[in-house]
Amino acid sequence: MTTAEQVAQATVTPKPKLRTTPSREPGTRGQWWRFAAMVVISVIVLVPVFATVLLAIRPSTTSTSTNLLTLENFTNVFANSGVLLWLSNSLGVTLATVIVSVVVAAPAGYVLSRGRSKAVSGYSLLLFVIQSLPVITAVIPLFVLFATIGLADNLLGLVIVYVGSTMSVATWMMAAYFDSIPHALEEAAWVDGCSVFGSFSKIVLRNSLPGILSTAIFAFLVAWNDYLVVLVFIKSSNIFTLPLGLQTFFQQNVTDWGAVMAVSVVMLLPPAIIFAVLNKYFSVGGIGGSLAGR
Amino acid sequence: MSSIAPAEHTATHGGAGPAPVPAGSRRGLSRGALTMIILVAPSVIVLLLINAYPLVIAALQSVRNGILIVTGEFVGLANYVDVLTSPRFWKAALFTLIFTIVGVFGSWLVGMGLALLLRTKIPGNTLFKVLLMLPWVVPIVVSATAWNWLVATPTSPIPALAAKLGFGELYFLADPTLAAITVCIFKVWVSFPFMMLMTSAALASVDGTVYEAAGIDGATRWQQFTQITLPMISRSTYISWILMTIFCVNDFPTIYLLTGGGPVDATTSLVVLAYRTVFQDLQTGPGVAIAFMMTLVLVVVSTVLYRQIRKVDIA
Repeated sequence: MTTAEQVAQATVTPKPKLRTTPSREPGTRGQWWRFAAMVVISVIVLVPVFATVLLAIRPSTTSTSTNLLTLENFTNVFANSGVLLWLSNSLGVTLATVIVSVVVAAPAGYVLSRGRSKAVSGYSLLLFVIQSLPVITAVIPLFVLFATIGLADNLLGLVIVYVGSTMSVATWMMAAYFDSIPHALEEAAWVDGCSVFGSFSKIVLRNSLPGILSTAIFAFLVAWNDYLVVLVFIKSSNIFTLPLGLQTFFQQNVTDWGAVMAVSVVMLLPPAIIFAVLNKYFSVGGIGGSLAGR
Repeated sequence: MSSIAPAEHTATHGGAGPAPVPAGSRRGLSRGALTMIILVAPSVIVLLLINAYPLVIAALQSVRNGILIVTGEFVGLANYVDVLTSPRFWKAALFTLIFTIVGVFGSWLVGMGLALLLRTKIPGNTLFKVLLMLPWVVPIVVSATAWNWLVATPTSPIPALAAKLGFGELYFLADPTLAAITVCIFKVWVSFPFMMLMTSAALASVDGTVYEAAGIDGATRWQQFTQITLPMISRSTYISWILMTIFCVNDFPTIYLLTGGGPVDATTSLVVLAYRTVFQDLQTGPGVAIAFMMTLVLVVVSTVLYRQIRKVDIA
């Protein structure tokens, strides 16, 4: 299933074809200079990330610890703040978003991939337009609607909004992946009396794990990294998610940076782990890739 | 509303796919079409309820003087007139423009530069690629917190460093001009990995032998870059500009988390202005009017651009 690379995330693992310089020049010339330049650039770029991690594992200013490195910021925030609650709220909302998004987008992506009528390309254009709309335009009316039916200040309401905002890109990504699955497989199945739904679920879907993973990661990031929607919708501290929880540390006059950064690291870990483990399916270019591919 | 029609339409023609169900079987065809409608239905429902419905409501809210859940009275286009005659709106529009231009081209230049550099032979190439993705992977709430720690007060590390280097006391987030510059740099920092990946992917598809030929013909490196590389990745470049423009215009957290739109509105973009008008000044009508005007502009722009993407051909 190497097709994963060409599809939604055409970007992620480009084939390592590193012949850029004309070959009469040895490609190795100056490589250590470039290496040094890359080290300097990376260090400068990553200063904010280093700062976050370092402050989290250094004793905070109020601490009596004399150790150079410590985990007490973490034990503190886990014991004295709602970080566990925020984490479980964030995880719950995010996982629900991922599941619903994939379940809704996969069949729609199939229609987008296999349908060849004007209506289908019209739907594709509609998805593109919707994707480009400011979230704020949808959020204000939805807030009013949800307030009247009890979904504002409710984690379920959050999931609904997130599913809406992942829908267009998720559908494209699934469609772009399905495009890579040969039609001949399905046609053979149809001849054998298989229904369209049967071929979709038994042939196409079963061979689309990489596409599904890319889409799931995309939905995960949308829900996990959101700030605007949660800021508008969630008011009660018992259903705070991590972004709101993190903000509570800034309301006192003196900010305990050790605690703030410990919570930041908790929030940073899930996407970092996904990035590390599922690097191959990590489709930052998913939107562009699927758009370019179709 | 309009999206119901395409779905039904799907049924009549394209429903059954390119070379679909065995020819002659009319029943099979219509059954296939029905299946296609059922498959696409959940997505259409989501789009209608969560994306289309709010647009209609937003249009209605923008011609009323309500406060959040209070509907208010019909005031015609008064909200639009208010907004369009307020200097705050034009200031925010100008900042949005600057923020978008710097965001798109800043991140493109940095991202493309790094993609070109990483394309050459460098020890630890892959590791650098992974590390440089981090600004995009880190949740914006976390990176904004880190940037705050780095620049917020005169005693923060970067102002302290600047003071030592003789720049005097710098208020990165309290001085209007510096705050605007800081927010733009933050946006470039967040976004360049996206551009880097898009460019890397495009570069990977360019055949290396082209350069050999060009080199033999005596083309300089710069000529090779402007006359071979850039044209060959133009489609991908174009798409990444479009997407980044949309990301920048619609961006809220990058700005709001770092400066809250201040000082004195210096970093208030249109989205931030809409948010503050609705949820802080409690003027739903004008706030929605701002958002709705942005929406109209983006619908027109993105429809045109979508057509363009389809037309631009890769060499």
